[in-house]
Amino acid sequence: MLVIALCKGRFLAPSLDLLTEAGIRFPEDIASSRKLIFNSEDHSFRAVLVKPADVPTYVEYGAADMGIAGRDVILESRADVLQPLDLKFGYCKIAVAGANGISEGAPPNTSRPTIRVATKYPRITMDYYNSRGIPVEIIPLSGSIELAPLIGLADRIVDLVETGRTLKDNGLEIVEVIAESSARLLINRAGYQTKRDEVLQLIQALEKVIR
Amino acid sequence: MKSYTQIPPGTQIVIGCAARRRRVLERTICSVFEGWSYEEIIPPIFDYYDVFVKGMGSGPEEQIYRFIDREGNILALRPEFTSLVAKTVATRLANSPKPIRLYYSGEVLRFEKPKGGRQREFAQIGIEHYGGSGKTADVEVLLIAVETFQRLGIQGFQINLGSVDFFGGIVDGMEFPADQITQLKDVLNVKDQSGLEALLEHLPLGDRRKKILRAVPHLTGDKAVIAEARELVKNPRSVDALDHLEEIYSIFERLDLAQHLTIDLGEIRGFDYYSGILFRAYVRDLGFEVASGGRYDGLPAAFGEDLPAVGFSFSVDRLEQIVTPTLEIPDVEAASIDVDDGFDKALQLRRSGKAVKLCL
Repeated sequence: MLVIALCKGRFLAPSLDLLTEAGIRFPEDIASSRKLIFNSEDHSFRAVLVKPADVPTYVEYGAADMGIAGRDVILESRADVLQPLDLKFGYCKIAVAGANGISEGAPPNTSRPTIRVATKYPRITMDYYNSRGIPVEIIPLSGSIELAPLIGLADRIVDLVETGRTLKDNGLEIVEVIAESSARLLINRAGYQTKRDEVLQLIQALEKVIR
Repeated sequence: MKSYTQIPPGTQIVIGCAARRRRVLERTICSVFEGWSYEEIIPPIFDYYDVFVKGMGSGPEEQIYRFIDREGNILALRPEFTSLVAKTVATRLANSPKPIRLYYSGEVLRFEKPKGGRQREFAQIGIEHYGGSGKTADVEVLLIAVETFQRLGIQGFQINLGSVDFFGGIVDGMEFPADQITQLKDVLNVKDQSGLEALLEHLPLGDRRKKILRAVPHLTGDKAVIAEARELVKNPRSVDALDHLEEIYSIFERLDLAQHLTIDLGEIRGFDYYSGILFRAYVRDLGFEVASGGRYDGLPAAFGEDLPAVGFSFSVDRLEQIVTPTLEIPDVEAASIDVDDGFDKALQLRRSGKAVKLCL
């Protein structure tokens, strides 16, 4: 039996649709249930529901053989997992945004020598600014990131941008896109080797659906 | 000042039954190594920092615990054994008859995120074979790895065998900057198909080369993988690597051990010092590899003695998490002695080799 970790939230419905199309059906209504573990009809798969940011951890440890999560979450986690498939949903960008579109080279309207950046992605943010040689102070937040530059907590934000609507409504705009993100299939390195036939079968089934 | 009740992150304390089991595990593995004529080497827990940088290459050096001695030398707590052993072989054992077979067992320290039962201080146990090039030495160390699993009674273990020369031969002829090679390795390392496609769009490569790179992540399986790879590559370095792997696989088939061997040409991770075969061992239902090794012919040369070298190490902390049915952990049965009668009885039993426990 293969264990697959799925994200609660906006990724759940498309993930389940994809699995159903690949022939993996779950008898229960996962979305409305409060349970966390579900067996597929033929008992060859077990789905576990976890927080999106935790999917890479479950897979890296092999507690789940595989998982579905956004590329943003995988990059931030730095988990050492295989990522063979782009599942082609959940498209968005990880971007730097600010109240005005002036370039990163000229610090925003501030007398601070080090700019402040608010984000849910402290590691991605640090890597990005380090690679550019720009000193930053990272302010880790867990939600409503867009608020930070509006009330003077930060000069910039690094956040997930889907349509850009939230940014626009709050008078912000993208300064630079750091990376494109979409849903990915994650696989544990050891499981890929020791359960190869089962894993490859699922990858092929999913590939067919995506194409 | 931290409270003395805390232990530093990445350390652990092994007590009683768990410690007994660890020692039996280590002893069992050492006896396999000794059975193949390997002698123990007990290297120091610290050495000059440069030894490890020279050995491990750039990258992992940031994981090394460094300190400065009273004369100003930079020292390091050993982050692995191979560099230390290679240095010893190239210097103190330079005039010894070859091949030299050594094994080690002990703790190493790396400043990294503790995970998978492996802390920052963790136990490694492994072998090093110096002075033997070619398939005989390669097969010898692989067979020792197989016997170790068998002796521990571990079922469903699997050794993934690849070669740095296969991928090396493919990228040798590609003349683009080092950072693009790194990007290429990064996407291949996680088998990221869409990332690879995005990268290939910008790389000045012919269709044949692109076809090879697209195939690399999938070249994992039985002997058929070698035949599949032969259709793709024509450069001598890669072809030699395939010949070599095929020979090893054939020997395993003849010994009826091929079921434990998987050819894995898509595996391109590892310390810079690897130069030929490269392997990792996995056990079903453990999420992390339990052993890894390979050939590192250039390493002794870095210390002044040009010698072929091959070896591997087991992660003791990870082996401990696996069911080892044949491992017998002896219970300590001691006779309780009442000291009111004097210590004579206790001494008498001790002289006859019996365990005693004094009642207070």
